[in-house]
Amino acid sequence: MPSAPTRLLQVDPLITIANLQVHFGDVVAIEDLSFVVQRGEFISLLGPSGCGKSTLLRAVARLVPSANGCITLHDSGLRVGFMFQKPLLLPWRTALNNVLLPVEIQLGGSVVSSTDELRARQMLDMVQLGDFVDAYPQQLSGGMQQRVALARALMGDPDVLLLDEPFGALDELTREVLNEELIRIWQSRKTRLKTILMVTHSIPEAVVMSDRVIVLTSRPARLIEDVQVKCPRPRTPEDPAIISVMKDVRAMVRADR
Amino acid sequence: MNSRIQSPLLFGFVLLAAWQALVMVAKVPEYLLPAPSVILANIDRTLFVQLGVTFAEALAGFLIASVLAFVSAILFVRFHALEEGLFPIAIAVKTTPIVAVAPLLVIWLGTGWWSKIVAVVLISFFPVLVNAVKGLKAADAEYRELFQTLGATRAQEFRKLRIPYCLPYLFSALKISSSLAVVGAIVGEFVGATQGLGYLIIVSSAHLETATLFAAIGAAAFAGIAMFYAIGWTERRLVFWQSREGE
Repeated sequence: MPSAPTRLLQVDPLITIANLQVHFGDVVAIEDLSFVVQRGEFISLLGPSGCGKSTLLRAVARLVPSANGCITLHDSGLRVGFMFQKPLLLPWRTALNNVLLPVEIQLGGSVVSSTDELRARQMLDMVQLGDFVDAYPQQLSGGMQQRVALARALMGDPDVLLLDEPFGALDELTREVLNEELIRIWQSRKTRLKTILMVTHSIPEAVVMSDRVIVLTSRPARLIEDVQVKCPRPRTPEDPAIISVMKDVRAMVRADR
Repeated sequence: MNSRIQSPLLFGFVLLAAWQALVMVAKVPEYLLPAPSVILANIDRTLFVQLGVTFAEALAGFLIASVLAFVSAILFVRFHALEEGLFPIAIAVKTTPIVAVAPLLVIWLGTGWWSKIVAVVLISFFPVLVNAVKGLKAADAEYRELFQTLGATRAQEFRKLRIPYCLPYLFSALKISSSLAVVGAIVGEFVGATQGLGYLIIVSSAHLETATLFAAIGAAAFAGIAMFYAIGWTERRLVFWQSREGE
Protein backbone atom coordinates (compact mmCIF):
# COMPACT_ATOMS: atom_id res chain seq x y z
CA MET A 1 0.00 0.00 0.00
CA PRO A 2 1.47 3.34 -0.97
CA SER A 3 1.17 5.82 1.85
CA ALA A 4 -0.98 8.89 1.31
CA PRO A 5 0.94 11.67 -0.39
CA THR A 6 2.39 14.09 2.08
CA ARG A 7 1.18 17.54 1.32
CA LEU A 8 3.80 20.16 1.93
CA LEU A 9 2.25 23.46 2.82
CA GLN A 10 4.48 25.66 0.76
CA VAL A 11 3.48 29.26 0.34
CA ASP A 12 1.59 29.17 -2.92
CA PRO A 13 -1.49 31.37 -2.60
CA LEU A 14 -4.41 30.40 -4.80
CA ILE A 15 -7.25 32.52 -3.44
CA THR A 16 -6.79 35.59 -1.28
CA ILE A 17 -9.74 36.95 0.65
CA ALA A 18 -8.96 40.41 1.96
CA ASN A 19 -11.25 42.49 4.18
CA LEU A 20 -14.34 40.91 2.69
CA GLN A 21 -17.64 42.55 3.62
CA VAL A 22 -21.04 41.34 2.46
CA HIS A 23 -24.30 43.13 3.25
CA PHE A 24 -27.85 42.08 2.48
CA GLY A 25 -29.66 45.37 2.92
CA ASP A 26 -29.01 46.36 6.54
CA VAL A 27 -27.90 42.88 7.56
CA VAL A 28 -24.17 42.36 7.68
CA ALA A 29 -23.49 38.76 6.64
CA ILE A 30 -19.71 38.90 6.55
CA GLU A 31 -17.58 41.51 8.31
CA ASP A 32 -13.95 42.20 7.56
CA LEU A 33 -12.84 38.65 6.81
CA SER A 34 -9.36 37.87 5.53
CA PHE A 35 -7.52 34.64 4.88
CA VAL A 36 -5.46 33.00 2.16
CA VAL A 37 -6.20 29.66 0.52
CA GLN A 38 -2.97 27.90 -0.42
CA ARG A 39 -2.79 25.66 -3.45
CA GLY A 40 -3.32 22.04 -2.47
CA GLU A 41 -5.08 22.71 0.82
CA PHE A 42 -8.26 21.22 2.18
CA ILE A 43 -9.89 24.01 4.15
CA SER A 44 -13.07 23.84 6.19
CA LEU A 45 -15.14 26.86 7.05
CA LEU A 46 -16.68 26.02 10.39
CA GLY A 47 -19.44 27.98 12.05
CA PRO A 48 -22.99 27.73 13.33
CA SER A 49 -25.89 27.50 10.86
CA GLY A 50 -26.72 30.78 9.20
CA CYS A 51 -23.42 32.42 10.14
CA GLY A 52 -22.65 33.53 6.62
CA LYS A 53 -20.23 30.77 5.64
CA SER A 54 -22.36 29.78 2.67
CA THR A 55 -22.39 33.43 1.65
CA LEU A 56 -18.60 33.41 1.80
CA LEU A 57 -18.46 30.39 -0.49
CA ARG A 58 -20.95 32.00 -2.86
CA ALA A 59 -18.86 35.16 -2.88
CA VAL A 60 -15.81 33.11 -3.96
CA ALA A 61 -17.94 31.53 -6.70
CA ARG A 62 -19.11 35.03 -7.73
CA LEU A 63 -22.72 34.20 -6.94
CA VAL A 64 -22.96 37.17 -4.55
CA PRO A 65 -22.62 40.39 -6.48
CA SER A 66 -22.62 42.78 -3.51
CA ALA A 67 -19.27 41.68 -2.08
CA ASN A 68 -17.11 44.59 -1.02
CA GLY A 69 -13.44 44.08 -0.41
CA CYS A 70 -11.43 41.70 -2.36
CA ILE A 71 -11.43 38.10 -3.47
CA THR A 72 -8.42 37.45 -5.67
CA LEU A 73 -7.96 34.30 -7.69
CA HIS A 74 -4.21 34.04 -8.28
CA ASP A 75 -4.59 32.18 -11.53
CA SER A 76 -6.62 33.59 -14.39
CA GLY A 77 -7.41 30.14 -15.77
CA LEU A 78 -8.51 28.80 -12.41
CA ARG A 79 -11.39 26.39 -12.76
CA VAL A 80 -13.84 26.43 -9.88
CA GLY A 81 -16.38 23.69 -9.18
CA PHE A 82 -19.32 24.17 -6.84
CA MET A 83 -21.32 21.58 -5.01
CA PHE A 84 -24.48 22.41 -3.12
CA GLN A 85 -26.13 20.88 -0.09
CA LYS A 86 -28.89 19.52 -2.30
CA PRO A 87 -27.92 17.29 -5.24
CA LEU A 88 -29.85 19.56 -7.67
CA LEU A 89 -30.04 16.88 -10.33
CA LEU A 90 -32.37 17.36 -13.27
CA PRO A 91 -35.05 14.66 -12.86
CA TRP A 92 -35.56 14.26 -16.63
CA ARG A 93 -31.92 13.34 -17.17
CA THR A 94 -30.16 10.07 -16.43
CA ALA A 95 -27.13 10.08 -14.11
CA LEU A 96 -24.88 10.15 -17.17
CA ASN A 97 -26.69 13.08 -18.77
CA ASN A 98 -26.70 14.98 -15.49
CA VAL A 99 -22.92 14.60 -15.33
CA LEU A 100 -22.70 15.80 -18.95
CA LEU A 101 -24.65 19.00 -18.21
CA PRO A 102 -21.55 21.19 -17.57
CA VAL A 103 -20.04 20.04 -20.88
CA GLU A 104 -23.25 20.77 -22.79
CA ILE A 105 -23.38 24.24 -21.30
CA GLN A 106 -19.77 24.95 -22.19
CA LEU A 107 -20.24 23.67 -25.74
CA GLY A 108 -23.22 25.95 -26.36
CA GLY A 109 -25.19 24.17 -29.06
CA SER A 110 -22.85 21.54 -30.40
CA VAL A 111 -23.14 17.85 -29.73
CA VAL A 112 -21.37 16.18 -26.82
CA SER A 113 -18.48 14.06 -28.13
CA SER A 114 -17.89 10.42 -27.32
CA THR A 115 -14.73 11.48 -25.47
CA ASP A 116 -16.86 13.63 -23.14
CA GLU A 117 -19.25 10.77 -22.64
CA LEU A 118 -16.40 8.44 -21.80
CA ARG A 119 -15.09 10.98 -19.28
CA ALA A 120 -18.54 11.29 -17.71
CA ARG A 121 -18.62 7.51 -17.32
CA GLN A 122 -15.20 7.64 -15.68
CA MET A 123 -16.42 10.31 -13.27
CA LEU A 124 -19.39 8.13 -12.32
CA ASP A 125 -16.97 5.24 -11.88
CA MET A 126 -14.87 7.39 -9.60
CA VAL A 127 -17.86 8.02 -7.32
CA GLN A 128 -18.70 4.28 -7.41
CA LEU A 129 -21.77 4.68 -9.61
CA GLY A 130 -20.46 2.93 -12.70
CA ASP A 131 -23.48 0.61 -12.70
CA PHE A 132 -26.00 3.43 -12.51
CA VAL A 133 -25.18 5.54 -15.57
CA ASP A 134 -28.67 5.13 -17.02
CA ALA A 135 -30.60 5.51 -13.76
CA TYR A 136 -32.82 8.53 -13.23
CA PRO A 137 -32.26 10.58 -10.04
CA GLN A 138 -35.58 9.50 -8.52
CA GLN A 139 -34.39 5.88 -8.74
CA LEU A 140 -31.29 6.70 -6.65
CA SER A 141 -30.93 7.14 -2.89
CA GLY A 142 -30.02 10.52 -1.41
CA GLY A 143 -26.39 9.48 -1.02
CA MET A 144 -26.19 8.24 -4.59
CA GLN A 145 -27.77 11.45 -5.86
CA GLN A 146 -25.11 13.44 -4.06
CA ARG A 147 -22.44 11.18 -5.62
CA VAL A 148 -23.84 12.08 -9.06
CA ALA A 149 -23.64 15.75 -8.08
CA LEU A 150 -20.00 15.23 -7.09
CA ALA A 151 -19.28 13.56 -10.43
CA ARG A 152 -20.94 16.51 -12.17
CA ALA A 153 -18.79 18.97 -10.19
CA LEU A 154 -15.66 16.98 -11.17
CA MET A 155 -16.70 16.89 -14.84
CA GLY A 156 -15.57 20.47 -15.37
CA ASP A 157 -12.10 19.33 -14.17
CA PRO A 158 -11.89 22.02 -11.48
CA ASP A 159 -8.70 23.08 -9.72
CA VAL A 160 -10.75 24.16 -6.73
CA LEU A 161 -13.92 22.61 -5.40
CA LEU A 162 -16.26 24.73 -3.29
CA LEU A 163 -18.52 22.55 -1.18
CA ASP A 164 -21.51 23.96 0.68
CA GLU A 165 -22.29 21.38 3.38
CA PRO A 166 -22.12 18.79 0.64
CA PHE A 167 -23.39 15.82 2.62
CA GLY A 168 -25.23 17.75 5.32
CA ALA A 169 -28.65 16.45 4.28
CA LEU A 170 -27.57 12.79 4.46
CA ASP A 171 -27.60 10.37 7.36
CA GLU A 172 -24.51 10.01 9.55
CA LEU A 173 -23.27 6.73 8.04
CA THR A 174 -23.65 7.73 4.39
CA ARG A 175 -22.06 11.02 5.21
CA GLU A 176 -18.97 9.37 6.71
CA VAL A 177 -18.51 7.14 3.66
CA LEU A 178 -18.86 10.05 1.26
CA ASN A 179 -16.43 12.17 3.26
CA GLU A 180 -13.84 9.41 2.94
CA GLU A 181 -14.45 9.22 -0.80
CA LEU A 182 -14.06 12.95 -1.13
CA ILE A 183 -10.66 12.71 0.56
CA ARG A 184 -9.74 9.82 -1.72
CA ILE A 185 -10.68 11.82 -4.85
CA TRP A 186 -8.86 14.88 -3.53
CA GLN A 187 -5.70 12.80 -2.99
CA SER A 188 -6.00 10.93 -6.29
CA ARG A 189 -3.81 12.08 -9.15
CA LYS A 190 -6.48 11.34 -11.75
CA THR A 191 -7.99 14.82 -11.56
CA ARG A 192 -6.61 18.34 -11.48
CA LEU A 193 -8.46 18.87 -8.23
CA LYS A 194 -6.03 19.87 -5.50
CA THR A 195 -7.76 22.46 -3.41
CA ILE A 196 -11.02 22.17 -1.50
CA LEU A 197 -12.96 24.78 0.41
CA MET A 198 -15.77 23.17 2.37
CA VAL A 199 -18.48 24.73 4.52
CA THR A 200 -19.58 22.62 7.47
CA HIS A 201 -21.07 22.97 10.93
CA SER A 202 -19.67 19.66 12.17
CA ILE A 203 -16.49 19.95 14.25
CA PRO A 204 -15.41 16.28 13.79
CA GLU A 205 -15.97 16.49 10.03
CA ALA A 206 -13.95 19.70 9.76
CA VAL A 207 -11.05 18.46 11.88
CA VAL A 208 -10.79 14.96 10.42
CA MET A 209 -10.87 16.15 6.81
CA SER A 210 -9.02 19.44 6.70
CA ASP A 211 -5.51 20.83 6.64
CA ARG A 212 -6.94 24.03 8.07
CA VAL A 213 -10.14 24.84 9.89
CA ILE A 214 -11.30 28.43 9.67
CA VAL A 215 -13.52 28.97 12.70
CA LEU A 216 -16.11 31.70 12.20
CA THR A 217 -18.43 33.61 14.54
CA SER A 218 -22.15 33.65 14.00
CA ARG A 219 -23.68 36.49 12.02
CA PRO A 220 -21.86 38.54 11.00
CA ALA A 221 -19.16 36.04 10.10
CA ARG A 222 -15.81 37.07 11.54
CA LEU A 223 -12.68 35.00 11.95
CA ILE A 224 -12.18 33.50 15.41
CA GLU A 225 -9.21 31.31 14.64
CA ASP A 226 -7.38 29.74 11.74
CA VAL A 227 -6.50 26.25 13.02
CA GLN A 228 -3.82 24.16 11.35
CA VAL A 229 -4.50 20.43 11.59
CA LYS A 230 -1.08 18.83 11.22
CA CYS A 231 -2.03 15.22 11.95
CA PRO A 232 -0.90 12.68 9.34
CA ARG A 233 -3.39 11.06 6.97
CA PRO A 234 -5.26 8.77 6.81
CA ARG A 235 -7.03 9.96 9.91
CA THR A 236 -9.91 8.67 11.97
CA PRO A 237 -12.05 10.51 14.51
CA GLU A 238 -10.49 8.26 17.18
CA ASP A 239 -6.88 9.44 16.69
CA PRO A 240 -5.76 11.06 19.96
CA ALA A 241 -4.18 13.98 18.08
CA ILE A 242 -7.44 14.55 16.18
CA ILE A 243 -9.46 14.37 19.38
CA SER A 244 -7.22 16.96 20.96
CA VAL A 245 -7.69 19.37 18.01
CA MET A 246 -11.45 18.79 18.16
CA LYS A 247 -11.42 19.78 21.84
CA ASP A 248 -9.51 22.97 21.08
CA VAL A 249 -11.88 23.89 18.26
CA ARG A 250 -14.92 23.15 20.38
CA ALA A 251 -13.54 25.41 23.11
CA MET A 252 -13.09 28.24 20.58
CA VAL A 253 -16.64 27.89 19.29
CA ARG A 254 -18.03 27.83 22.85
CA ALA A 255 -15.99 30.85 23.92
CA ASP A 256 -17.70 32.84 21.16
CA ARG A 257 -21.17 32.36 22.66
CA MET B 1 -59.72 -5.29 -17.49
CA ASN B 2 -59.11 -3.82 -14.05
CA SER B 3 -61.73 -2.61 -11.62
CA ARG B 4 -60.89 1.05 -12.39
CA ILE B 5 -62.52 0.61 -15.78
CA GLN B 6 -64.87 -2.18 -14.89
CA SER B 7 -66.92 -0.58 -12.13
CA PRO B 8 -67.71 2.72 -13.89
CA LEU B 9 -68.78 0.71 -16.96
CA LEU B 10 -71.00 -1.51 -14.86
CA PHE B 11 -72.62 1.39 -13.02
CA GLY B 12 -73.04 3.30 -16.28
CA PHE B 13 -74.81 0.35 -17.79
CA VAL B 14 -77.11 -0.01 -14.77
CA LEU B 15 -78.00 3.70 -14.94
CA LEU B 16 -78.78 3.48 -18.66
CA ALA B 17 -80.96 0.40 -18.06
CA ALA B 18 -82.84 2.18 -15.27
CA TRP B 19 -83.35 5.21 -17.55
CA GLN B 20 -84.63 2.96 -20.35
CA ALA B 21 -87.01 1.17 -17.94
CA LEU B 22 -88.28 4.43 -16.45
CA VAL B 23 -89.11 5.89 -19.86
CA MET B 24 -90.84 2.69 -20.99
CA VAL B 25 -92.84 2.10 -17.81
CA ALA B 26 -93.85 5.72 -17.12
CA LYS B 27 -94.42 6.42 -20.85
CA VAL B 28 -92.45 9.68 -20.75
CA PRO B 29 -93.06 11.66 -23.95
CA GLU B 30 -90.06 11.58 -26.29
CA TYR B 31 -89.70 15.37 -26.54
CA LEU B 32 -89.15 15.50 -22.74
CA LEU B 33 -86.87 12.52 -22.17
CA PRO B 34 -86.09 10.12 -25.00
CA ALA B 35 -85.06 6.57 -24.08
CA PRO B 36 -81.38 5.63 -24.53
CA SER B 37 -82.39 3.29 -27.36
CA VAL B 38 -84.02 6.20 -29.25
CA ILE B 39 -80.97 8.43 -28.69
CA LEU B 40 -78.75 5.63 -29.94
CA ALA B 41 -80.86 5.37 -33.08
CA ASN B 42 -80.25 9.10 -33.68
CA ILE B 43 -76.49 8.67 -33.90
CA ASP B 44 -76.01 8.96 -37.64
CA ARG B 45 -73.51 10.21 -40.17
CA THR B 46 -74.64 13.85 -39.78
CA LEU B 47 -73.84 13.74 -36.08
CA PHE B 48 -70.30 12.54 -36.81
CA VAL B 49 -69.85 15.26 -39.44
CA GLN B 50 -70.97 17.94 -36.95
CA LEU B 51 -68.77 16.43 -34.25
CA GLY B 52 -65.85 16.53 -36.68
CA VAL B 53 -66.45 20.23 -37.38
CA THR B 54 -66.61 21.17 -33.71
CA PHE B 55 -63.64 18.97 -32.85
CA ALA B 56 -61.54 20.51 -35.64
CA GLU B 57 -62.41 24.04 -34.47
CA ALA B 58 -61.63 23.18 -30.86
CA LEU B 59 -58.36 21.44 -31.75
CA ALA B 60 -57.15 24.23 -34.05
CA GLY B 61 -57.97 26.92 -31.49
CA PHE B 62 -56.45 24.88 -28.69
CA LEU B 63 -53.17 24.38 -30.54
CA ILE B 64 -52.93 28.05 -31.52
CA ALA B 65 -53.76 29.15 -27.97
CA SER B 66 -51.26 26.75 -26.40
CA VAL B 67 -48.38 27.85 -28.61
CA LEU B 68 -49.24 31.55 -28.21
CA ALA B 69 -49.62 31.23 -24.44
CA PHE B 70 -46.38 29.31 -23.98
CA VAL B 71 -44.38 31.75 -26.10
CA SER B 72 -45.97 34.67 -24.22
CA ALA B 73 -45.10 33.01 -20.91
CA ILE B 74 -41.45 32.68 -21.94
CA LEU B 75 -41.37 36.35 -22.98
CA PHE B 76 -43.11 37.38 -19.73
CA VAL B 77 -40.58 35.53 -17.59
CA ARG B 78 -37.62 36.67 -19.69
CA PHE B 79 -38.67 40.32 -19.88
CA HIS B 80 -40.16 41.36 -16.59
CA ALA B 81 -41.47 44.67 -17.93
CA LEU B 82 -43.71 42.78 -20.36
CA GLU B 83 -45.19 40.76 -17.52
CA GLU B 84 -45.82 43.84 -15.40
CA GLY B 85 -47.53 45.69 -18.24
CA LEU B 86 -49.45 42.92 -19.97
CA PHE B 87 -50.36 40.45 -17.24
CA PRO B 88 -53.05 42.67 -15.62
CA ILE B 89 -54.53 43.30 -19.07
CA ALA B 90 -54.52 39.57 -19.75
CA ILE B 91 -56.37 38.96 -16.48
CA ALA B 92 -58.93 41.65 -17.36
CA VAL B 93 -59.57 40.05 -20.75
CA LYS B 94 -59.79 36.65 -19.10
CA THR B 95 -62.55 37.74 -16.70
CA THR B 96 -64.75 38.87 -19.60
CA PRO B 97 -67.18 35.98 -20.25
CA ILE B 98 -66.66 34.39 -23.63
CA VAL B 99 -70.45 34.28 -24.14
CA ALA B 100 -70.48 38.08 -24.04
CA VAL B 101 -67.72 38.41 -26.61
CA ALA B 102 -68.87 35.70 -29.04
CA PRO B 103 -71.47 37.85 -30.90
CA LEU B 104 -68.78 40.45 -31.56
CA LEU B 105 -66.54 37.77 -33.03
CA VAL B 106 -69.30 36.76 -35.43
CA ILE B 107 -69.76 40.39 -36.55
CA TRP B 108 -66.03 40.74 -37.16
CA LEU B 109 -65.15 37.33 -38.53
CA GLY B 110 -68.45 36.03 -39.94
CA THR B 111 -70.20 32.72 -39.31
CA GLY B 112 -67.35 30.58 -40.68
CA TRP B 113 -64.46 28.80 -38.96
CA TRP B 114 -62.55 31.82 -37.72
CA SER B 115 -65.09 33.20 -35.26
CA LYS B 116 -65.13 29.78 -33.53
CA ILE B 117 -61.38 29.33 -33.57
CA VAL B 118 -60.85 32.79 -32.07
CA ALA B 119 -63.45 32.04 -29.37
CA VAL B 120 -61.55 28.84 -28.57
CA VAL B 121 -58.24 30.72 -28.47
CA LEU B 122 -59.70 33.32 -26.10
CA ILE B 123 -61.03 30.73 -23.69
CA SER B 124 -58.04 28.35 -23.67
CA PHE B 125 -55.22 30.92 -23.74
CA PHE B 126 -55.28 32.11 -20.14
CA PRO B 127 -55.05 28.90 -18.11
CA VAL B 128 -52.00 27.97 -20.17
CA LEU B 129 -50.43 31.41 -19.83
CA VAL B 130 -50.92 31.60 -16.06
CA ASN B 131 -49.64 28.09 -15.37
CA ALA B 132 -46.73 28.33 -17.79
CA VAL B 133 -45.55 31.57 -16.16
CA LYS B 134 -45.81 29.87 -12.78
CA GLY B 135 -43.97 26.77 -14.04
CA LEU B 136 -41.18 28.75 -15.69
CA LYS B 137 -40.52 30.43 -12.35
CA ALA B 138 -40.86 27.24 -10.33
CA ALA B 139 -37.25 26.01 -10.49
CA ASP B 140 -35.58 26.65 -7.12
CA ALA B 141 -33.17 29.55 -6.82
CA GLU B 142 -30.49 26.92 -6.07
CA TYR B 143 -31.00 25.34 -9.48
CA ARG B 144 -30.45 28.73 -11.06
CA GLU B 145 -27.32 29.18 -8.94
CA LEU B 146 -26.07 25.84 -10.23
CA PHE B 147 -26.58 27.02 -13.81
CA GLN B 148 -24.82 30.27 -12.93
CA THR B 149 -21.78 28.42 -11.56
CA LEU B 150 -21.70 26.37 -14.76
CA GLY B 151 -21.64 29.60 -16.75
CA ALA B 152 -24.97 29.02 -18.51
CA THR B 153 -26.49 31.74 -20.69
CA ARG B 154 -30.08 32.88 -20.17
CA ALA B 155 -31.11 30.89 -23.25
CA GLN B 156 -29.48 27.74 -21.88
CA GLU B 157 -31.14 28.28 -18.52
CA PHE B 158 -34.51 28.37 -20.28
CA ARG B 159 -33.84 25.43 -22.57
CA LYS B 160 -32.18 23.07 -20.13
CA LEU B 161 -33.84 24.06 -16.86
CA ARG B 162 -36.90 26.28 -16.91
CA ILE B 163 -38.79 24.79 -19.85
CA PRO B 164 -38.47 21.11 -18.80
CA TYR B 165 -39.22 22.16 -15.23
CA CYS B 166 -42.37 23.90 -16.49
CA LEU B 167 -43.77 20.87 -18.35
CA PRO B 168 -45.80 19.40 -15.46
CA TYR B 169 -47.38 22.84 -14.88
CA LEU B 170 -48.00 23.23 -18.60
CA PHE B 171 -49.76 19.90 -18.88
CA SER B 172 -52.11 20.49 -15.98
CA ALA B 173 -53.12 23.72 -17.74
CA LEU B 174 -53.48 21.95 -21.09
CA LYS B 175 -55.91 19.48 -19.51
CA ILE B 176 -58.08 22.35 -18.28
CA SER B 177 -57.90 24.31 -21.50
CA SER B 178 -58.59 21.26 -23.69
CA SER B 179 -62.02 20.88 -22.06
CA LEU B 180 -62.58 24.62 -22.29
CA ALA B 181 -61.70 24.54 -25.99
CA VAL B 182 -64.81 22.45 -26.75
CA VAL B 183 -66.91 24.90 -24.73
CA GLY B 184 -65.46 27.79 -26.74
CA ALA B 185 -66.21 26.13 -30.07
CA ILE B 186 -69.82 25.36 -29.10
CA VAL B 187 -70.43 28.88 -27.73
CA GLY B 188 -69.09 30.25 -31.01
CA GLU B 189 -71.49 28.02 -32.93
CA PHE B 190 -74.45 29.03 -30.76
CA VAL B 191 -74.07 32.65 -31.81
CA GLY B 192 -73.84 32.14 -35.52
CA ALA B 193 -72.97 29.05 -37.49
CA THR B 194 -74.19 26.78 -40.27
CA GLN B 195 -72.61 23.61 -38.94
CA GLY B 196 -71.10 22.01 -35.86
CA LEU B 197 -72.49 20.54 -32.65
CA GLY B 198 -73.51 23.99 -31.31
CA TYR B 199 -75.53 24.57 -34.46
CA LEU B 200 -77.08 21.10 -34.18
CA ILE B 201 -78.02 21.74 -30.52
CA ILE B 202 -79.70 25.08 -31.34
CA VAL B 203 -81.63 23.66 -34.32
CA SER B 204 -82.74 20.44 -32.64
CA SER B 205 -83.88 22.26 -29.50
CA ALA B 206 -85.89 24.72 -31.61
CA HIS B 207 -87.59 21.78 -33.35
CA LEU B 208 -88.04 19.83 -30.09
CA GLU B 209 -85.98 17.01 -31.57
CA THR B 210 -84.88 16.05 -28.09
CA ALA B 211 -83.28 12.74 -29.08
CA THR B 212 -80.97 14.53 -31.57
CA LEU B 213 -80.27 17.12 -28.88
CA PHE B 214 -79.21 14.38 -26.47
CA ALA B 215 -77.02 12.76 -29.11
CA ALA B 216 -75.35 16.13 -29.77
CA ILE B 217 -74.78 16.69 -26.05
CA GLY B 218 -73.24 13.22 -25.80
CA ALA B 219 -71.00 13.96 -28.80
CA ALA B 220 -69.86 17.27 -27.20
CA ALA B 221 -68.98 15.43 -23.99
CA PHE B 222 -67.10 12.85 -26.05
CA ALA B 223 -65.10 15.58 -27.79
CA GLY B 224 -64.05 17.06 -24.42
CA ILE B 225 -63.13 13.69 -22.95
CA ALA B 226 -61.16 12.71 -26.06
CA MET B 227 -59.10 15.92 -25.90
CA PHE B 228 -58.51 15.47 -22.17
CA TYR B 229 -57.28 11.90 -22.54
CA ALA B 230 -55.09 12.71 -25.52
CA ILE B 231 -53.33 15.33 -23.39
CA GLY B 232 -53.05 12.92 -20.47
CA TRP B 233 -51.54 10.28 -22.75
CA THR B 234 -48.94 12.73 -24.09
CA GLU B 235 -48.18 13.92 -20.57
CA ARG B 236 -47.42 10.44 -19.29
CA ARG B 237 -44.86 10.01 -22.04
CA LEU B 238 -43.28 13.46 -21.87
CA VAL B 239 -43.32 14.14 -18.12
CA PHE B 240 -42.19 10.67 -17.13
CA TRP B 241 -40.24 11.85 -14.07
CA GLN B 242 -43.29 13.06 -12.13
CA SER B 243 -44.81 10.53 -9.82
CA ARG B 244 -48.43 9.92 -10.57
CA GLU B 245 -49.66 9.13 -7.12
CA GLY B 246 -53.08 10.40 -6.20
CA GLU B 247 -54.26 10.64 -9.77
